[in-house]
Amino acid sequence: MAVRIADALAGRRVLVTGATGFIGEALLRTLLVEVPGARPVVLVRPKAGQPGAARLARTLRKRTFAPAVEAAGGGAQGAAVLLERVQVVEGDLSDVPALPDDLDVVVHCAGEVSFDPPIHEALDVNVVGTRSLLARVREVDDAQRRRGRRVHYVHVSTAYVGGRRRGPVPEGPVEHAVDWRTELEAGLAVARDVEVASRAPDQLARFNDEAEAEHGPAGALTSAADAERRRRAWVLDQQRAAGGQRGHSLGWTDVYTFTKALGERVVEELAGGDDPLPVTIVRPSIVESALLAPHPGWIEGFKMAEPIILSFGRGELPEVPAAPDATIDIVPVDHVVNAMVAVCATPPAPGPPRYFHVSSGARNPLPFRRLYELVREYFEAHPFDPGESGPEVLPTWTFPGAAAVERRLALGERLHAAGEKVLGLTPRSDRVRDWARDLDRAKSRLELLRRYSDLYQAYTQSELHFVDDATLALHRALHPDDAATFGFDTAAIDWAHYIRDVHTPAVTAPVRKLDDLRRRRSTTAGRGRELAPAAEGAGPSDVLAVFDLDGTLMSSNVLESYLWVRLPELGALDRAREVGRVLRRLPGLVAAERRERSDFLRQVYKRYEGADLAELDRLVDEVLTPHTLARVSAAALRRVRQHRSAGHRTVLLTGAVRPLTRPFWPLFDEVVSAELAADAAGRATGYLVSPPLVGEARAAWVVRYAQVGGHDLARSYAYADSHSDLPLLRCVGLPTAVSPDVPLLRAARAARWPVETWAAPVRSGGDGGPLRRLVPSTAPDTAGMALP
Amino acid sequence: MTRPGLVLEVDDRTPPLLVHEGNGFRLEEFPRGTRVLYPPESLPAVPDVEAAITRALLEPIDSEPLPQLLFPGMRLTIAFDDISLALPQMAAPDIRQRIIEQVLTMAARAGVNDVELVAANALHRRMTAQELRTMLGERVFRSFYPQGKLTNHDAEDPAGMAHIGMTDHGEHVEINRRAAESDLLVYVNVNLVAMDGGHKSVPIGLTSYKSLKHHHNSHTMMRSRSFMDHKASAMHHSAWRMGRVLKDHLKIFQIETTLNNDCFPSTYAFLQKREWEWSIRDQASMLAARRGLSVAPASLKHRIFQGIRAPYGLTGVAAGEVEAVHDATLARVHRQQLVEVDGQSDVMVLGVPFIGPYNVNSTMNPILAACMGLGYYFNSYRGKPVVRQGGAVILYHPVEPAFNQLHHPSYVDFYDEVLSVSTDPAVIEAKFEEQYATDPWYVHLYRTSHAYHGVHPFYMWYWISHALDHCGDIVWVGGDRRAVERMGFRSASTLQDALAMVQGSVGASPSITYLHNPPHLIADVR
Repeated sequence: MAVRIADALAGRRVLVTGATGFIGEALLRTLLVEVPGARPVVLVRPKAGQPGAARLARTLRKRTFAPAVEAAGGGAQGAAVLLERVQVVEGDLSDVPALPDDLDVVVHCAGEVSFDPPIHEALDVNVVGTRSLLARVREVDDAQRRRGRRVHYVHVSTAYVGGRRRGPVPEGPVEHAVDWRTELEAGLAVARDVEVASRAPDQLARFNDEAEAEHGPAGALTSAADAERRRRAWVLDQQRAAGGQRGHSLGWTDVYTFTKALGERVVEELAGGDDPLPVTIVRPSIVESALLAPHPGWIEGFKMAEPIILSFGRGELPEVPAAPDATIDIVPVDHVVNAMVAVCATPPAPGPPRYFHVSSGARNPLPFRRLYELVREYFEAHPFDPGESGPEVLPTWTFPGAAAVERRLALGERLHAAGEKVLGLTPRSDRVRDWARDLDRAKSRLELLRRYSDLYQAYTQSELHFVDDATLALHRALHPDDAATFGFDTAAIDWAHYIRDVHTPAVTAPVRKLDDLRRRRSTTAGRGRELAPAAEGAGPSDVLAVFDLDGTLMSSNVLESYLWVRLPELGALDRAREVGRVLRRLPGLVAAERRERSDFLRQVYKRYEGADLAELDRLVDEVLTPHTLARVSAAALRRVRQHRSAGHRTVLLTGAVRPLTRPFWPLFDEVVSAELAADAAGRATGYLVSPPLVGEARAAWVVRYAQVGGHDLARSYAYADSHSDLPLLRCVGLPTAVSPDVPLLRAARAARWPVETWAAPVRSGGDGGPLRRLVPSTAPDTAGMALP
Repeated sequence: MTRPGLVLEVDDRTPPLLVHEGNGFRLEEFPRGTRVLYPPESLPAVPDVEAAITRALLEPIDSEPLPQLLFPGMRLTIAFDDISLALPQMAAPDIRQRIIEQVLTMAARAGVNDVELVAANALHRRMTAQELRTMLGERVFRSFYPQGKLTNHDAEDPAGMAHIGMTDHGEHVEINRRAAESDLLVYVNVNLVAMDGGHKSVPIGLTSYKSLKHHHNSHTMMRSRSFMDHKASAMHHSAWRMGRVLKDHLKIFQIETTLNNDCFPSTYAFLQKREWEWSIRDQASMLAARRGLSVAPASLKHRIFQGIRAPYGLTGVAAGEVEAVHDATLARVHRQQLVEVDGQSDVMVLGVPFIGPYNVNSTMNPILAACMGLGYYFNSYRGKPVVRQGGAVILYHPVEPAFNQLHHPSYVDFYDEVLSVSTDPAVIEAKFEEQYATDPWYVHLYRTSHAYHGVHPFYMWYWISHALDHCGDIVWVGGDRRAVERMGFRSASTLQDALAMVQGSVGASPSITYLHNPPHLIADVR
């Protein structure tokens, strides 16, 4: 008759690695709750300044451990008792410290969970870590042997360790002739080489050029930071590719299964040999949320299927590259943990490892199409929050085959690239910003699809099934009274119940919560940052509010301002010529703006040559001021004035020439603008006194200004519209992007800055379209107009 | 013989009737039995305007003739109504130009050297040089404007205001210093509607926020029933008290003019004719206008309508002592505009036209549209309002949330910041008025740009407080839904829908009265 698991493990010292991970945590919970006699030990790595013990304490405070805390007396005391029961070994798998020498079982749950980590990280965790752990296990075994006992090493691997093999996969060693030592050495070398190669001059030149093309207007330092970001991204990408490609080239789906297979080989070799340990290798398939314990639907983080489910529910995944009849081999986490506990309770004799597949495909297959139907049923009954435009339309998957999905994907990617190109050439507007948002959304969908297409194809296509005879035998050997608590017969799973009623609701819950939060935020959004007026009698504040002029306060641009101010000075014929001249030069001027803003400004200001500066002031007051005040955004003015009434020091920072800023002088404590150089007769020479303040120079000016004036930049505000103002926005604590161009929009969204649209005033006429704007008539009256 | 005002009852033979709605109009089929008020036809114009002016100046009422008031070395100030009158703008030459030219001629003859002209714009926007030139003519403009002797009144110039005294109700009387310290103030008025003129000219046109506060507030406006009848208007009572204080300190020679109902040039003659009397030519112009407007972009429509100049005829001019002159003026205004109406109705229908006092050469924003309909047209009655207490008003206007920021900067903020909090005039007054009235940026714009004073949108909202208080339902037809709702009203797409919406307060078959104006009319409700 079988022994009860609790009895078999009573007094046993069980070391668990990866106890803060998904499977490790579940295992620790089961040991604490269901096996009161077990004495767990955990190997926890200090992380983010937290010692391992603290990390464990945090894990034990989770809801999943509540029954264990309760059983130990409840409250703080129960938690303390529980913590007392678990011994913590602080340490890292890359260099495992000496372990307590009285261990009975070592369960190695820790592993790389991502499918596409950089090659050296995958090797570090799955190969180096296993090797390092086994060396320590050998030490413990030596000590235990002196007491006439042995250490049982339980290695958690994956069912997909067989790579791209087809057909039934037996519960035995994977056949391959790959030498793990060679692969380890070579893999680590490749990672290093990539790092070195990324610093080669031609590579760096490429990063610099790309960064310059995108961030040139924002200035040299911004470009440099972006170049370095690009280099790091490239290194990561290459290291990932190195892993994936190496796995592929040897017959594995990816670096994850490849290094897992090498890890098994490490176990087979180092725990075997002439003096073998008692070893068990547990191979779960795709581990998903709990069926029953600790509670139905319990899951930590997102595993493999969740992103697909969520993006399906959002209507974002139009198709998958899976075969409809392919089995998706899912297993609930509590089944996996129960099987592991049963394994721990039945140590084998020293010798070749035992293998257990904890999987569902062999006896209770879930075809991909069935999974799709169940998820669909769930979302049809419980759509994501409909929002204003009603619920998302769920895509209908037709499973057209991997090739068709690939074609569609490639087309999408080409279209996206084309859209990006057009976007780069389009002047900004609300519509263009919406379009950029759509494009970005499309891009993230495409990336999602691309990722699944590349990564999951192997998992969703494979016509393989995992033989689980040994596991079934282990399950059947359970004491009948243990079957309810520790059962792991996957044939008993009702997929409709599990997928539709347990798993999918569980994984969508946190997303719904986030949606709620976002919605609550968005109802208060749109009004921008809140500003309270300064208290009566408050002294001057040390807060700055910096505003850009063109495009932020008003939609006009430098060129138009120039025309407006300069034109009345010229006669009618000259005026027409001047407009023509500017129009002809427009392409060049626009190109100059793309090149560098200060070049652009210089070209514009060249055209003031010969202008009488005193006359210019008069013209601004008479002509430009009404023109400007009629076009300035009311929301912008309101914001400036709110800052003033909040006691902030308002600063206007612009590349425009000083006379053009005259309409705004009453609103600002400080106006920084370009000064036109003048000759002895007071006429503009077409040059500036000093370089126009643009890009990083603005940020530097603000930083210096704050230092001198004792202002607190962290509490200060800045408002700007253009990518070239990115450094300016970055140098204050409270930046806002106003009607931004697309690059700034993207930067602002990435940095979670508020994006506001300060609309130009809606006018029901009296303005008369672009031509009328270009050529002002001296008489605003419109007498004599007849009806058409 | 000019035909008097008419109350038409809509029957089966009544054609669709013209309803103004902003920069456009529509032809509406009114339910049978609807009463339609048409103003009297235009009175005959004075044949010789120059002679009439001369006579008024030489034979004033209760005053010495103007030449006797002029002497060398004196200080003479001529104030005149600003661009808020007349509506639409008067075709050149403006009556103010003709009067001022004669006054100036007499002053020159009398050897008066110190003469200044000031537009009595109170808290309205400054008139532009071009507008002053158009109103007063090239000669006057050129003789005074470049020397700085033709100016706009600046109520926020601390040195430019003079405190005259207090009324027996404790009201501050403060007016333009130059005017106050003149030996003679000549005021030139255009008495377009009964509300204008009298003591509303100087004590209001040349005053400041401090003084205006006493009568431009929600409480007084609520008790002005109506503005078109100064004897029943609390606002006018206050102005009259101020005028009487002023009388003891300052010699005012008031010149008031009245106009006939020729609001539209011949191209738009159909706009002021009764629909069943439209000639073939009228019908053709109407169809052409309708077709044109349906395809014209908003800016063109705006220019077309702002470009309308009215060929008003002068029905009379009187000069002399303020109150005596005004009595004569009112008699003429009433003769031109009064329409006798028998009893109130459940529903009143109004078309808000393209122009009001504060959007000349500008945009009629939602607040101005509300003021035009519910402030001016609603109050265009004598006796009782056209609509009964608790009845409904239905207005036509597009109510686009569009603003001219040069002219109406504080309106934009009022719309966004104030109306979004409350639409109750008293609440708004208590909570926001002071802040807007003293905001330094608005003051700056009022003084140096062409902006209405910061407090002006509040006055617009106070103008409508009587209507808000009196009516059970206010519904706009064809208005921008969000703008209409922002102002606390309801919006409908057709008259039928609007009538269905107001059933709750007036029942299923209410009595309806449609005010067919412009041209201007005053409903004399018995």
